[in-house]
Amino acid sequence: MDIVVCVKTNPDLQMVRVKNREAVVEAVPYKLGDLDKNALETAIQLRDAAGGTITAVSVAEGNRKIRETIKEALAMGADSAAVVDDPALAGADPAAVAAVLAAAVKKLPGCDLVLFGEGSTDNYSGQVGPRVAELLGVPQVGFARKVEAVDGAVRCERSMDEMIETLEVALPAAVTVVSEINEPRIPSLMHIMKAKSKPVEEWTLADLGVDAGAVAARREIVSNLAEEQDRKHVLFEGSAAEQADAFVNALIKEGVLGR
Amino acid sequence: MEKVECIVVGGGLAGLSAAYGLADAGVEVMVLERGDYSGAKNVTGGRLYASPIRSFYPELWEEAPFERAVARELVTMLGDGAQTTIEVASDRFTADPPQSYTVLRARFDQWLAEKVGEKGGMVVPNMKVDALLREEGRIIGIRAGEDEIGADVVIVAEGVLRLLSSEAGLAAEPVDRDHALGFKEVIELPPGVIEDRWHLNPGEGAAQLFLGNVTDGMLGGGFLYTNKESISLGVVVGMKAMRERAEKAKPQDASESYQLLDRFKALPQIRPLVAGGTVAEYSAHAIPEGGIAAVPKLAGDGYLMAGDAAGLALNALITVRGMDFAIASGYYAAEAVKAAKARADFSAAGLAGYEASLRGSFVLKDLQTASQIPAFMENPRLFTHYPRAVSRLLEQIYTVGPGPTPGLFKTAWGGIRRDFMNTGTVKDAWSARRI
Repeated sequence: MDIVVCVKTNPDLQMVRVKNREAVVEAVPYKLGDLDKNALETAIQLRDAAGGTITAVSVAEGNRKIRETIKEALAMGADSAAVVDDPALAGADPAAVAAVLAAAVKKLPGCDLVLFGEGSTDNYSGQVGPRVAELLGVPQVGFARKVEAVDGAVRCERSMDEMIETLEVALPAAVTVVSEINEPRIPSLMHIMKAKSKPVEEWTLADLGVDAGAVAARREIVSNLAEEQDRKHVLFEGSAAEQADAFVNALIKEGVLGR
Repeated sequence: MEKVECIVVGGGLAGLSAAYGLADAGVEVMVLERGDYSGAKNVTGGRLYASPIRSFYPELWEEAPFERAVARELVTMLGDGAQTTIEVASDRFTADPPQSYTVLRARFDQWLAEKVGEKGGMVVPNMKVDALLREEGRIIGIRAGEDEIGADVVIVAEGVLRLLSSEAGLAAEPVDRDHALGFKEVIELPPGVIEDRWHLNPGEGAAQLFLGNVTDGMLGGGFLYTNKESISLGVVVGMKAMRERAEKAKPQDASESYQLLDRFKALPQIRPLVAGGTVAEYSAHAIPEGGIAAVPKLAGDGYLMAGDAAGLALNALITVRGMDFAIASGYYAAEAVKAAKARADFSAAGLAGYEASLRGSFVLKDLQTASQIPAFMENPRLFTHYPRAVSRLLEQIYTVGPGPTPGLFKTAWGGIRRDFMNTGTVKDAWSARRI
């Protein structure tokens, strides 16, 4: 099975701080999206069981760190990678990214399965997977928590609140996965070193035959602010024991304790 | 065993500086960094003296992400309810090029790691090296998890704790006498507030050291450096002094070392400096302060030691240095490895140029010049008596009480006789002649 895994480079969210409700990403390192790693791990397990190849594909969206982070995908186990970088992609919206990814998948020699995380770690629109499936004209399964290869198809399981749904979909297909599907492997030093010699294709929009106008953002982010939460600022007075009692009582009243 | 020409253990300034020089010369080099990224594990006060290192990699410093060029130097002696600050400003501190800059390591080290990558060096974060591989007395590579990777030469830039090199018998385990512990907060303040508070022109910075009522009489002091949009405020305390204090303390008096910083911040002299600020980061780190006597063997068969791991840092009371030493040692390590590669001799003899270069450079010369400072600083009077006495003397000179005021000379002379002319201070002055 030849698998394409679409991955995205994100700022390390653990390192992002919020200042005046805005995210401070300056000096924050970039890494492969967490859910993208789940998708990649899924691909590795499918390939190791059934053979085939894995290509990691990423769209730069004006982010120059992509060449570093794509190496993470190769170190984890992708056989090759393709990176689409083009000045026109700065600030690309999910529709544009999907258009570029679909074109990239078509350009690759063969693809039976396209895997995605259910959403990106940063903006989490969750649109790109379904959009690519639509553009490629292949069936799509979202939010898979298990993916198995069966003859000419994949069998996916997903959790629907009160029940578990099992779907079988003929290849070629697109699947998005959720974080509980697996524990992504941490590449060993040897794998990191070997990743250096794995092929990375670099494409521009022209290479894909995509017109720059087709990726112009149709969506404008008007504001992106952290949620503000009012703190209660309660001060307890009295002896230590009294303060502790008052504190515990307040927590019970808030429903935090003693439920 | 898979093999590369050079493995650098530790992606801090020493390791990255070495890797940059090597990658630039086409040597196959791989930096293994334990943290999530270069700079993740590093803490500095921090100021980088650029003058000593400007001739190494001159192209780098033009675009380095420095915070502010230090234009003002302040030393504050905190006494009992009185304090004295000496402030020195000089056009020459910031003349083109400035002699020193404040830096934040998370940003600075990531930038340098990127530069190493651009030169073709490989920087692998999140990679903990578990051991240096030793065969017949020679370092032949490293082990990380399951993987053993060989190298012609390993540059050990693993930082102050020297876990790997002491395990491999290359250096002694660090002892508390040779180290201090630093606690630091990065406190965000708007640039305009920083510039008003420290009387700075836009973009210029201040460095302020504090002696006296900071470390409770233990070896150490406080520091404050202004960054672009924050200040780095911290306390450094000698580990040996801290241990001795802890051993003597009654259980009810026992205090945790990190509380020193909280107490420092709460001093009435410090509060206005941090007022309105938001604490953005807290960190703590060990600092080598053993001076030249604590520098281990710098090279041997198949390895070199650089940066903090080699004890290359200097607290000379007024100037506190380490990052310039780290960058310089990395530079000379790269030079030595290039020379060894040209001769295909990575033995101790083949790498001997490293120590020779360090001895011929400011690194070991300045450490040698300051060789008496660690012993001098063990004198607790430096951190108790003198800051108090200076502040008391000047306070009296400036005091006008309700009754008649004695003459200036009489006041001054009385204070000098009281606090500066006794056997203790004469002894201190005598021992200070060698620092």
